[in-house]
Amino acid sequence: MHKKLEAYLEEIDHYLALREGKEEILSEIKSHILEKAEQEFGEITESALEKVIVKYGSAQQVAEKYMDDFQIISPIFKKYLLRYTGILFAFHFGLTIISLIFGLSMLVFPFFYIPRMDTLQALFYIPMTIVFDFGLVGIFLYFVTQKKKEMKLPWLKIHFRVPERHEKKPSRPKIIWLILMLSGFACLIYVFVQYQTLFFLNLNFQEPTSLFNPEASKWYSLALITMLGCAIASYIFRFFTQPEWSNLVRNAVYLLIMGLIINNPIKDAFVDFPYFDLKSLGTAVIVLLTVIFAIGFIKSLIIVWIRTMTK
Amino acid sequence: MESDISHFEAEMNRGFLQILVLVVLENAMYGYMMLKKFEQMGYAVEENTLYPLLRRLEKKEYIKSEWDVSQGRPKKFYIITDKGKEIRKNVLKIWHEQHKIIDILLEANKNA
Repeated sequence: MHKKLEAYLEEIDHYLALREGKEEILSEIKSHILEKAEQEFGEITESALEKVIVKYGSAQQVAEKYMDDFQIISPIFKKYLLRYTGILFAFHFGLTIISLIFGLSMLVFPFFYIPRMDTLQALFYIPMTIVFDFGLVGIFLYFVTQKKKEMKLPWLKIHFRVPERHEKKPSRPKIIWLILMLSGFACLIYVFVQYQTLFFLNLNFQEPTSLFNPEASKWYSLALITMLGCAIASYIFRFFTQPEWSNLVRNAVYLLIMGLIINNPIKDAFVDFPYFDLKSLGTAVIVLLTVIFAIGFIKSLIIVWIRTMTK
Repeated sequence: MESDISHFEAEMNRGFLQILVLVVLENAMYGYMMLKKFEQMGYAVEENTLYPLLRRLEKKEYIKSEWDVSQGRPKKFYIITDKGKEIRKNVLKIWHEQHKIIDILLEANKNA
């Protein structure tokens, strides 16, 4: 019984992740080490074995060489791992925000379950989603790799353009548009200061009628002003940098404002109007806008991910 | 500089060792015996490189093995198969072609 040799073989055995042939590999290494010790040191002693073992290499190194052709995930799927994770995360994140805004739980079988959460819980939940999505895609690609057959995975071509880095800035912002935007914005501020609302039921500026009660008028107008201010700031950023990050922040702010509006309903916000059910119409508009902003947010998140992670 | 050469050497050895094994296994040999033979010829091979390579070549059926337990300690003997011989023939042809190309280019360099 050669303790050092047995311990060494046991360690190699521990690292060898092979389905078959392990016993034979270990027997061959054992035979080699014993023979070398005998040939080079005259007899098999613990110290001779130790020297031969040191020369043979660490157990990890030895095991690794037997697994050269064993891959957990094939290198050809590296880009897929990042791309699929990015797309899945963008949807996961977008749906989490929708779930947070509407106070819903969601089950997207078999991908994920989004529980009903408050904002603080969501802040902890979102970093976990990226780990989960990465793992899910990793497991999928692991099985594809282990199949060992040549398999072409869909590249999930995104149906919107992701500008290349070397390209000139796409649709460069124009100063004239900025001036028009700023002028329009200044007019809106003037109207708001003058009438305390931006939502009118008539165009009679002598006796204007707001769509909402005074509290709701003020609150919703401020929300609109913030969103437009954010859009202008995002446009200004495009003069200096690529637009993806500013678009992402802008869409996040839009969603945040929609979340605040939905989660802080104002009682009897709409004034009475004989021809329309303004409340139902308003709810439909808010839901529609939230969905549009969520799609925009997911889209910009995918662009940012692809630009920063997979190129 | 030296590390660059070692890197190059390691890359070249990867293919060369496979050819060498296919050539030397015309006669049955076991791992330690092969290493000694290479060593005598001035070519040092790490043992933890040779054995995994033998396993890979056996998996591809270029060589086959058999345990010999007749002399006390069991030894695993390897020998080239017919498939291995066919591969060896073609690989050596490629190897000779490559040598020829290098020689021609070196000659041209000299005359330039």
